[in-house]
Amino acid sequence: MRGLDRLPTGRGNRALLVGLGCLLVGGLLALTPLRVQLPSALYVFVEVGIVFVIYGLLVLGLDVQYGHTGLVNFGHVVFFAVGAYATAMLSAQDTFAGVGLGYPWPIGVAAGVGAAAALGFLLSATSIRLRDDFLAIVTLATAEIFHSLFVNLEGLFGGNVGILGVPRPIASLVADGDTRLVATVFVLGGITLVTLALLTRLTAAPYGRVLRAIRADELVTRSLGKPTTTYKTQAFVYGAALAGLAGGLFALYNGAVAPGFFTIQVTVTVWIGMLLGGAANHRAVLAGLAIIMGLRLVSRFALTVTPISGDVFAAVRLVVVGLVLVAVVRYRPAGIWGNPRELGVDR
Amino acid sequence: MSRLTVDGLVVEFGGLRAIDDLSVSVESGELVGVMGPNGAGKSTFFNCVSGVLTPDSGSVVLDGTDVTGAPPERLARAGLVRTFQDTRELETMTVRENVRLAARDHPGERTVPALLGSDDARTTEDAVGERADELIDTFDLTHLADAYSGSLSGGQRKLLELARALMVDPDVLLLDEPFAGVNPSLTREIAEHIRALNEAGTTVVVIEHELETLTDLAERLIVLQQGTLLVEGEPDAVVADERVVDAYLGGGA
Amino acid sequence: MGLLQEILFGLVTGSYIAIAAIGFTLIYGIVNMINFAYGEYLTLGAFVGLLASTALPVPLPVAVVVAMVGGGIGSLVLARGFFTPINQTGPVPLLLTSIGLGIALRNVIRLVAGRNARYFETETTTVRFDSVPDLSVGPVDLLGGFFVTTEQLTVVGAAVAVFVAVHLLLTRTNVGIAMRAMGDDEQLARVRGIDTQLVRDSVWILAGVLAGLAGVLMAIQTNVSATTGYSQILQILSAAILGGAGSPYGAIVGAYVIGLVIALSTALLPSGLTGLSTAAAFVILIAVLLVRPSGIAGTEVREA
Repeated sequence: MRGLDRLPTGRGNRALLVGLGCLLVGGLLALTPLRVQLPSALYVFVEVGIVFVIYGLLVLGLDVQYGHTGLVNFGHVVFFAVGAYATAMLSAQDTFAGVGLGYPWPIGVAAGVGAAAALGFLLSATSIRLRDDFLAIVTLATAEIFHSLFVNLEGLFGGNVGILGVPRPIASLVADGDTRLVATVFVLGGITLVTLALLTRLTAAPYGRVLRAIRADELVTRSLGKPTTTYKTQAFVYGAALAGLAGGLFALYNGAVAPGFFTIQVTVTVWIGMLLGGAANHRAVLAGLAIIMGLRLVSRFALTVTPISGDVFAAVRLVVVGLVLVAVVRYRPAGIWGNPRELGVDR
Repeated sequence: MSRLTVDGLVVEFGGLRAIDDLSVSVESGELVGVMGPNGAGKSTFFNCVSGVLTPDSGSVVLDGTDVTGAPPERLARAGLVRTFQDTRELETMTVRENVRLAARDHPGERTVPALLGSDDARTTEDAVGERADELIDTFDLTHLADAYSGSLSGGQRKLLELARALMVDPDVLLLDEPFAGVNPSLTREIAEHIRALNEAGTTVVVIEHELETLTDLAERLIVLQQGTLLVEGEPDAVVADERVVDAYLGGGA
Repeated sequence: MGLLQEILFGLVTGSYIAIAAIGFTLIYGIVNMINFAYGEYLTLGAFVGLLASTALPVPLPVAVVVAMVGGGIGSLVLARGFFTPINQTGPVPLLLTSIGLGIALRNVIRLVAGRNARYFETETTTVRFDSVPDLSVGPVDLLGGFFVTTEQLTVVGAAVAVFVAVHLLLTRTNVGIAMRAMGDDEQLARVRGIDTQLVRDSVWILAGVLAGLAGVLMAIQTNVSATTGYSQILQILSAAILGGAGSPYGAIVGAYVIGLVIALSTALLPSGLTGLSTAAAFVILIAVLLVRPSGIAGTEVREA
């Protein structure tokens, strides 16, 4: 296998193999009469696991944008949303409100990725030269604008109800509930692992060196002959496209999209995951995301055990999340596994 | 044809003229020194020539092509490389990474070859690694090759800037105060490197305050004062010139 | 509802956004951070005011003053606890900290105060001008009957008073002059012997006072809930940037522009789409940042 001989890092290798393995398992479960039994105690793990691997694509994309290139994107959820809505609108068959064109789902996903990438390109073409905190504001405002559009343009997007009747490829192949869940987590997890492998390759290559140099000092990097605007645009668009893919996959898993799934909370969760794990380290940011989403698991368990209402739990969880962000920024800006020297935060 | 020419350059900062109708040229293969009291406009001049600053009027011509206002990356690709006075080494990267970064036309720096791990990318990176190690060795930084450049001393940073600039393989090298804050023996070493470079064919322009070193090194001196050309010519003559003595002792900036 | 009515609403909205935006923009100019928890400062002011007027109870004007004091103190405490210690780390860590702080505060308030919105008990007089004729241009009524309430007049009046007070503060007092010096050039101010930490503390207090006032005024107009202030943060931010980040005078202009844009969008958009009016404010924000990032007053936000 000549291709494997020249992979630059062992880490990329392993993730690729495991990822392909997962896809294989998922594919087998989906396409053959193979069935699995899932103990009901594990349901919640698998369900949160599915959301985790989808969000994983979001955090990986953000890591390329911010962790490697230093672009402060605080509107990441907008690419997730655009990808999801584009996929939904192109492939939904029987939506109650909004547009549903009924095309085959692969077209839907392709459109989702394309739309998100296009928005990413537009944003970077206009805003990439802005100072850090103002880029954060522009991206955040863009996310709010789209959220407002999704909620208000009911004829197109279905308002608060959203777009229903989105095809669910795995569900339609597998009738058995347990198997369906497991197949989904393997397929989506496989996609995320393959993405991890590819990104690791990209950033470990000299390409990643240029990105990190841009983050360190853009002027010097330009003075050495690198077209930094091109690199920044690419990093931004790749991250946006990945988020769009995540959106498309989410739509196909959920069978529906609605504005409630695409709030600033998503952006915040992904940011905290990235910072907590350690920006610029792809595996670390996934681990950080896992910790933050672990909090969700904890609160879901606690809900079943204590008599406190779901609302209260959500609020407590959010207080914790906010404080974690504050604490990480102040006490451990490189996160748990990040390299403080690499991130310029050794104090 | 001269290598580098600026003609009628004017730069204004809020009503103050940092560069006031400056016209100089540098021939291919020359080793030119630029001096002048504080505020004479030396760094601003470099900034105009290297694309960091766009002049308000006048022109910059490199090898016959007008590059006025061109961005830094275009000038670097055209063979003009500069170092910075406030040694901007990339602190979050190691010495080795700093130098490797400077390699030109590296296929591994493009998305598709990087993703595919192509042959081309690998071989180039191997060659780049070798050349980088050579340069690091030339400047006696081998023991620091894997250290983050933020931890280097002032003198070591100057050496790193030089190594990195050379990695780009420049035709014209602009050095902004390469000797500032460097001890005498290191100064001699750096001067030697610069001389060797120039003898190998690179056109070099050096800004420096260290008068003695500069007069030893340069074949021609350009003296700036308040944004204009005061005197230019052979080092001994220039240094003895009354106007220059006045500028440094009396009027100044 | 005629356009004129909407414009009047816009002036009221613009007024309390202006009060808040002055505080926000001063923090940006002098502490060099975008304080995304600022909305919560308004919310705190609203709750303090509500408590004062119902629990103590005190007459409404006193409650407003209590809210202002509470806002000032709260702002200083939060700054000392969360922002001052990391002052040197740069705009992004400060922004992220404020985002985290905002989330935590918002949810603490939600836990303590519950989900339901509360209302101020106020007596207002409404003055109606029903006999003004409609002046229809297409589907839009330019004039038409309109009304003005005393609450609204109070808000606008308070805003004008604030503008005058802030102007006097910035031009006649030592603290104010020091603030302007620091806003212009911090290094230079320090060299001149200005105690920069003291000035920063003063800015936090001032911003907190203004936020408290804006919050309670807004709450009197609408209601008090955990999201009262947060619902306005992007408008406040837009106003500050539109006016030129760091310039209080620009922020005032920016706030009224935002208020009017929202009002006009509400009036002119087809009825199903009025929810887009706040989005209009953000579109303006983006447009300003892209076209003229220095805003109306002309300050610096783009890197070289």
